[in-house]
Amino acid sequence: MTDATVTRPRTRRDAQFDRIRDREAKLAGTTQRKGRFLSKFLNNRLAVIGFAIFAVICLMSLFAPLIAQHDPMSPNLRAIAKPPSAEHWFGTDKTGRDIFARVLYGGRVSILVGLGSALLSALIGVIIGVYSGYVGGWLDWIAMRISEIFMSFPQIILVLLLVAILGQSLVNLIVIFTLTGWGGIYRMARARMLSIREEEYVQALRSFGLGPARIAYKHMLPNALGPIMVNITLSTAAFILQEAGLSFLGLGVPLSIPTWGNILNAAQDLRVLEQNWWIWLPVGATISLFVLSVNFIGDGLRDATDPSQQG
Amino acid sequence: MEMGNDVALSVRNLKTYIYTNNRCNRALDGVSFEIRQGKTLCIVGESGCGKSVTAASIMQLLPTLSRIEDGEITYHGPDGPVRIDALERDGAKMRAIRGKEIAMIFQDPMTALNPVYSIGFQIKEMLRYHTSLGRKDRHSKAIDLLRSMGIPLPERRVDEYPHLYSGGMRQRAMIAIAMSCNPRILIADEPTTALDVTIQAQIFELMDTLKRENGTAIMLITHDMGVVAELADDVAVMYMGNIVEAGPVGKVLRKPVHPYTRALLDSIPVLGRGKDQEIKAIPGQTPDPYNRPTGCQFADRCAYRVSACDEMPPETMVADDHRVMCWRYQEFMADAAE
Amino acid sequence: MLTYIARRLLTLIPMVIVISFLIYLGLELTPGDAVSHMIPPDAYGSMDEDRLQELRESLGLGKPFLVRYWIWISGVLQGDFGYSLAGGVPISKIFLDRLPATLELSIAALLISTVLGSILGTISALTRGSLTDQSLTVVGMLGVSIPEFFFGLVAILIFALNLEWLPVGGRTLPGYDSFWDRLPHLVMPAMVLSIMMTAGVMRYARSSMLDALSRDFIRTARSKGMPEWRVNILHGFRVALTPVIVLIGFRLPVLIGGSVIIEQVFQWPGIGKEFVSAVRSQDYPLVMMVALFSVLAVLVASLIVDLLTAIIDPRVRLGD
Repeated sequence: MTDATVTRPRTRRDAQFDRIRDREAKLAGTTQRKGRFLSKFLNNRLAVIGFAIFAVICLMSLFAPLIAQHDPMSPNLRAIAKPPSAEHWFGTDKTGRDIFARVLYGGRVSILVGLGSALLSALIGVIIGVYSGYVGGWLDWIAMRISEIFMSFPQIILVLLLVAILGQSLVNLIVIFTLTGWGGIYRMARARMLSIREEEYVQALRSFGLGPARIAYKHMLPNALGPIMVNITLSTAAFILQEAGLSFLGLGVPLSIPTWGNILNAAQDLRVLEQNWWIWLPVGATISLFVLSVNFIGDGLRDATDPSQQG
Repeated sequence: MEMGNDVALSVRNLKTYIYTNNRCNRALDGVSFEIRQGKTLCIVGESGCGKSVTAASIMQLLPTLSRIEDGEITYHGPDGPVRIDALERDGAKMRAIRGKEIAMIFQDPMTALNPVYSIGFQIKEMLRYHTSLGRKDRHSKAIDLLRSMGIPLPERRVDEYPHLYSGGMRQRAMIAIAMSCNPRILIADEPTTALDVTIQAQIFELMDTLKRENGTAIMLITHDMGVVAELADDVAVMYMGNIVEAGPVGKVLRKPVHPYTRALLDSIPVLGRGKDQEIKAIPGQTPDPYNRPTGCQFADRCAYRVSACDEMPPETMVADDHRVMCWRYQEFMADAAE
Repeated sequence: MLTYIARRLLTLIPMVIVISFLIYLGLELTPGDAVSHMIPPDAYGSMDEDRLQELRESLGLGKPFLVRYWIWISGVLQGDFGYSLAGGVPISKIFLDRLPATLELSIAALLISTVLGSILGTISALTRGSLTDQSLTVVGMLGVSIPEFFFGLVAILIFALNLEWLPVGGRTLPGYDSFWDRLPHLVMPAMVLSIMMTAGVMRYARSSMLDALSRDFIRTARSKGMPEWRVNILHGFRVALTPVIVLIGFRLPVLIGGSVIIEQVFQWPGIGKEFVSAVRSQDYPLVMMVALFSVLAVLVASLIVDLLTAIIDPRVRLGD
């Protein structure tokens, strides 16, 4: 027999393991069940923080008329480019408009564009992708080729090209984003369906004589919802970034409507950039924070719906 | 049990717990056995009973979120006994044992070989770390190994990539890697589960030959009682992290004294006994590893359950080389004697 | 290998034809006389109606659509890209002038993000769950969440306006034209442009590496008793590399897109900046040509990615 003084080397995980083991020992014999999805999502601290930030920014934008003390559009010649104060929390811009009000109202449009385009392109992508992924055939072939054409353009070039052709307006922008954005989610939904199609329960349903549309949308789609949700959150983030970029160039939503990107547009002027930080810094931070929160939610959703991510 | 000179590796009261999803799975809950030099020990049991965890514990190849809690794993090498469980997981001492002293082959040869390197590279890599052979010698040794594993055209095959090998050939290549440094112990974790039946026999024959020619001790993990009857010298039957019965193959298969061993044997058809033979499936299913019974782990599925089974039965020697974990073993012994 | 390249090229051709066709369709449908972007504008202005009509005939504008497309595409293939509406400069000359700047910027950003992203992602995966990993994850998240032009603005404010270490923008000063003179101009745009891609590559490299490390052959490699660095780098990273290269190829369009905005922020005289002003002034011929060439760039990039993966991955290289 070897001597009993031999000790196993401890690693940084040992304390964590001891904790789990002791807790299990206490709970031995009792059973506890919590929704797996919800508990995984809640265990992800970043996702919960992200959701809180997301909710706060959305609600503040939604109730902008109740929160903002000033009109976002009306210039005030007596308060031009004033730094933040009790009266104007984020200061005023070069025509004396209250920036806090503009950020709140701008959020409405920016979130509408981002979320709206993401939902619309998801709707189109999922409807086509789920059906064509399950049924295949010529419809699948055509949809695949069309999405290939869309996706061989760098997205922003295609968006700008369409802006040049269709002209600048809020509705056009959502239409353009939807047109350029459906391809990704279509391919994702299609790929999911291709793998689900091979599962046995689908074969069983087919043998019961159910129609393809019913099998695809009613029975298979729910099993693909996880990745679709993740995709929607991530494309919301992407569209908000794109709207900001386009408006910053002055080619997004017409400058007369306040959006986050349009407010930032003023920072193209080096004097504003250097001397009036409050005109662009808070709104840039707001965009970043919002996109960050959406990305955290997306990551949390992915971890919660993906069974392969453990530990 | 007396420890003879022929023991290659002994495991005493091994406890390995797995900590995924913030839960604790007591995957191995006090396992003891030994592997004898030049003999084959078969570990049998249903999937999830801890067979593979045992192998991983010996090789210190456990997943990150798991650890050896208690017990001893002792390798009786040429330089005296080494406590494997006390070695740093991927430290130099452990690495010197892996591959050189104890080698392992895995269940699925499709995924166990790295797809981006040639078979030859993966054999030579092993030789590079455990032998002092030069580049050219390593190459010719790799070819020799492939040839002795029965791979045709080894001079050409040595530079080919795994995807050009068939399943059976990959497992042969895997065995070539494992045997390249002439290890004292070979651990095989269900090496034929992923292969065709006809290939299975060839692989086992190869392993048996290696055992006879090199005196390698083999620990074979399987769920197939037929394989046990064919290859084993010793058998250990595992259920939910315990070895419920262990002993020489003749005794365990002919005179099983644990209800689980009996149920396992009853659940396989025997060739030649005709269509009318009684095949009994084991009722129920293995318990949830996070919610185990407090007593005998098999009690819920056992036809011979009594109130004593609410407590964990001790390991009892029924002969000097035959051991069981059951409260009612004496009745089964009497039964088997008839 | 050669047949693989040939087959890959053959699948590209229909794609290019369809897209060039669509672009031409767009050109025809957008406002403006087709003649106006096919001849220099000053010549256009001095022509009378008869002469123009004659020219339209000679350019085949009365002919059926497909014939007109054929005339146009054979011109493009011979390097005749038409004329920009603004200033009447041949588009080929604009490309020649602007392309080097854009290439310089994109290649610099590509190099930075590839190297930095894959190294950081690998470190993150190898130290999974540690403080390093968690901080890198949060930093990566910030990188993909903050608009790059906002990064650019902050960088200009700090490094150019306050610290005065680097120039505010542009690519060169008159009279100072060597690479070393230009380098300070390149630093900020290249760094800022690479941020989002670095973060993307890092996140992807991390998950690809984690995936590789969870495979069976890693366990095999460990069971052979090899040192950890060899297991992680030679077996793990080598296998994780293929998907990362594919991702970098897929991200090239994003890089091209990003450079459109970044060139604007830093007044970098590249194609992207030219493209934005063309969109603003509705200079359709230029817009369409840039779009056509960006598609070609993407397709060529995807071809290169395929070839690279074929070189790296024996299953593709030797497959059928």
